[in-house]
Amino acid sequence: MALKFLIVDDSVTMRRIVANSLKTIGHELFVEASDGKEAMVKLNSDEEINFVITDWNMPEVSGLELVRTIRANEKYVALPILMVTTRGLKEDIVEALQAKVNNYIVKPFTPQILKEKIEQIISSAA
Amino acid sequence: MMEQKTNMENIFDKLGDLKSFFIYGQKLIPILQKIIDFMQSTVPLLENVNREIQDSTSKIPKAALQINRVTNATEVATTEILDVVDGVSMDIHSMKDKLQSIKSRMGEDDDLVTLLGMIEKIETRMMNITISLQVQDITSQQLSSVNHLIQSIQEKLSSLVKDLTNKENKEIPSIDLYPRDGTFNADARYDKNSKSQELVDSLVTKRNNSKTSQEEIDKLFANQ
Repeated sequence: MALKFLIVDDSVTMRRIVANSLKTIGHELFVEASDGKEAMVKLNSDEEINFVITDWNMPEVSGLELVRTIRANEKYVALPILMVTTRGLKEDIVEALQAKVNNYIVKPFTPQILKEKIEQIISSAA
Repeated sequence: MMEQKTNMENIFDKLGDLKSFFIYGQKLIPILQKIIDFMQSTVPLLENVNREIQDSTSKIPKAALQINRVTNATEVATTEILDVVDGVSMDIHSMKDKLQSIKSRMGEDDDLVTLLGMIEKIETRMMNITISLQVQDITSQQLSSVNHLIQSIQEKLSSLVKDLTNKENKEIPSIDLYPRDGTFNADARYDKNSKSQELVDSLVTKRNNSKTSQEEIDKLFANQ
């Protein structure tokens, strides 16, 4: 099954870079949201979204709040979530893992790291 | 007679006290004069300080606005660079397809192989440009952090001006001028070393290896 990504980041630049990186590693399907609030609207209205890539620091609803909201909904308990953020402190990583992100990337990242993490998540879910 | 003498003695004692007070007062007058002179010379200085604070406070929103303009300009410029990178990447991709098609028709050719190798190098370099452009997001978070500090300085100075002049600052900055808490990471760094990612990987492995309840996962990280 083809993966359809929801890219959540308030930075236009970062959404574009994540999208370009996805194309580079062979994924063409994605939709974008500029914060957690918009992400929830997109997620609830598009049944085909089956992978979320989210930033942490965003206005309205942060990435961490988005992860908690998604996980609180039984429908999305198994939805793969990858956090891509500048936050590289141990306590941040632990907090995100406790909120049940599947994996975590510290910016700046390469398409290779993105590919590796997506594959890890998909293979552990299979 | 004895009682009258006592009263007189009391009066003389009081007069003595009064005399001592006048002598002390005479000594005190120059000191008081010096204090008054000092206060008089300090008033213009304090007024000057007050004016400077008000002036600086009024300039702070302009500095914040300038920082926001820098962020917006770098975002626009980065988008333009990404447009160019996308265009070049598409051209390179179609060149690569055409060369592959020539190669399949003509068979192995050293020049073609060299050209395809060069194209792959250009593709890698184009991707490296894209990766480096993440610096725009990271620096914009650092600038947001500076704006946040500027906001707190402005609030403190405005409060000081209010205390000194008893007047509210009429120049209320726009709501969008300053970033809200949580919308940026003050510790954002453009650092290509993989130490943070290695830490992530070790913690993720630790979590994934303990396929246990959330309570146990929380316990696992409790002392991190």
